[in-house]
Amino acid sequence: MVGLIQFIIDFLSLGGAYALMALGLVIVYGILKLVNFAYGELIMVAGYTLYLVGGTGMPWIFMAIIAILMSVLFGILTDYVAFRPVRAKSVTAVLITSFAFSTLLQNGALLFISPRPRNIPLPDIFTETIEIAGVITPIRNLLTIATAVISLSLFTWLMRRTVIGIAMRAAATHFTMARMLGVPANLIITSAFAISGLLAGIVSMFWLGRIGAVTPGIGLEPLLIAFIATVIGGMRSLQGAVLGGFLLAFIDTGLNYTLPQDLLKFRDAFTFSLVILILLWRPEGLLKGPASGQRT
Amino acid sequence: MSHSNKLLAIATAASLALSAVAAQAEELLIAGALSLTGVQAPLDEPGFRGAKVAVKFLNDNGGLLGRQVKFINLDGKSDPVTVGNVAVQLLDQGAELMVAPCDFDFGGPASREAQAVGVVGISTCASDPLFSSWSLGDKQFTLSMWNTTMGAVAAEYAYNERDWKTAYVVTDQFIAYTKSLAKYFTAHFEAIGGEILLEDSYTNGDNDFSAQIARLKALGKTPDVIYISSYGTDIGVIIRAIREIGIDSPILGGDSYDDPALHENLGEKFGNDVYFVTHTYMTEEAHPDMPKFLELYNDMYGEAPDTSFVATGWDTIMLMAEAVKIAGTTDGAAVAKALEENTFNLLTGDLSYRSAAEGHTPDKAAVLVELKGGKPSFLGWRLPKNPPAP
Repeated sequence: MVGLIQFIIDFLSLGGAYALMALGLVIVYGILKLVNFAYGELIMVAGYTLYLVGGTGMPWIFMAIIAILMSVLFGILTDYVAFRPVRAKSVTAVLITSFAFSTLLQNGALLFISPRPRNIPLPDIFTETIEIAGVITPIRNLLTIATAVISLSLFTWLMRRTVIGIAMRAAATHFTMARMLGVPANLIITSAFAISGLLAGIVSMFWLGRIGAVTPGIGLEPLLIAFIATVIGGMRSLQGAVLGGFLLAFIDTGLNYTLPQDLLKFRDAFTFSLVILILLWRPEGLLKGPASGQRT
Repeated sequence: MSHSNKLLAIATAASLALSAVAAQAEELLIAGALSLTGVQAPLDEPGFRGAKVAVKFLNDNGGLLGRQVKFINLDGKSDPVTVGNVAVQLLDQGAELMVAPCDFDFGGPASREAQAVGVVGISTCASDPLFSSWSLGDKQFTLSMWNTTMGAVAAEYAYNERDWKTAYVVTDQFIAYTKSLAKYFTAHFEAIGGEILLEDSYTNGDNDFSAQIARLKALGKTPDVIYISSYGTDIGVIIRAIREIGIDSPILGGDSYDDPALHENLGEKFGNDVYFVTHTYMTEEAHPDMPKFLELYNDMYGEAPDTSFVATGWDTIMLMAEAVKIAGTTDGAAVAKALEENTFNLLTGDLSYRSAAEGHTPDKAAVLVELKGGKPSFLGWRLPKNPPAP
């Protein structure tokens, strides 16, 4: 029983983080049909912002807000630097420019800060634990779950009830048609990047909160997680991304708990075998998105 | 003597003199393939900084064999293929010595290229026993102790000095370094009588240690000591996770713990009862010449080093210089012989190599450091009695 509660908390807190990461990636993909490979660097930017404002002595929550805003800013910057100039011309070019922007940001951190880890300020609550039904768990994990629930609800409301959300969903379904009906393309795309940055910024607080430090390469893992989660969940579906995030966390945590010691070192092989099986069964991912997938 | 003959004689004399000057002034090129970008950068970049201080020191003191030393490092980009390519490029330019990156996977290619043209290569801190003359050739060395020593020192400290009889071992399945370090600790700890309660795996980058903790708690016994062989920021993740949950057994580890950012990260709350085995310590306690090195370093960069790994770069260059002085040449075979037959007094400890047939096993002592309230303190040099065979 204790083991089960422990497992559920671990799985939900990891899943919440994975789902937010995946959602941030898929919101841009849904509209542009292009993967933003500089997505992981938004988490890095938030981390280094925390590190840089860490010495100012202001309350942590303000530092966190500044860091999240920087992540939003760099999300928008990704659009302006890597996507907008070449978006209409060639898919290959955008792939290259988003990689280039990612490398540029990483090397900027490498050159101007340091290749070695830098510590970020964390609030005390992030390092405290709480006992629930005999299970001692870090409060951080519960905060991750709560934040994921709140963010996902807000996001759902935004996409369903607001003009910008409906316009984004329209653009994701059929971009050309949406433009013809008066949806401003640039505004929609920039908004998608801003939301992507916001989600990356929020999740970075909890992801970096586990680590307590930031390095130039910190964004690779979240990018990979988000990418795999969206692929198994369905590249075109927002719900699919969330489902994929939780499923990936379930697989990872489940294998971590159940694999015998000799096999545990090959855990990633098991994870990816399961991912392949899911894709063989559902090549489009678990949830199908809107019918039209044409890039415009 | 006719007029033209006289001219010829003068010309000959002049050209002889000129070539003599040229030979005198010709720089001794030391190649570097250290990675300044990518995953290897945190270990290679400090070595690069330290090496530059050493080269300047040599040149300020008359160079080597009467020649000025020139150190060119091309970024290996944490990519084995790139490391090999830049090594070839620098060897083509006439490099006479090679500084190889700090790991078997990344440093091996540079050493192999150096071996191919008969040049001595030394890695700044590769500690896996794979980095040996057995696998790389008879002119290749690593400045670092091997993981056999690093693991054994930790095991002997735990069992003999502290009377910790039972251990829990975590192996990060990341690179050869993390895997072999845990293997040698376990082997030596059991060999001297300790008991391993549980061995567990971790995947670098997971940032999630909860399943391992669940297994540890399911054990029902608290281990006397926890050995964690991990790398980078993940060490902090694991130690935090263990301490947060209220397990306060002492924690032991290797040189990847030797990072002030990690110590600060753990802080007063989690940085207690953590011990690690590393190359050196940045005070006079470890070596009488340390303050001098720190002063030279400060002169060059205007700041104190942020990790003791800078000393591995300094030592690599100074070790090369010592061996070249003894050999009187940079010829690969002669320098390798000088390295094999002498003992060198370095910032990272006294070092002597065994013969090429014995893998160039480095016989080297290790430094033991304790973390208390997030602050490191020097516990002293340790040499294991009978480290496990690689």
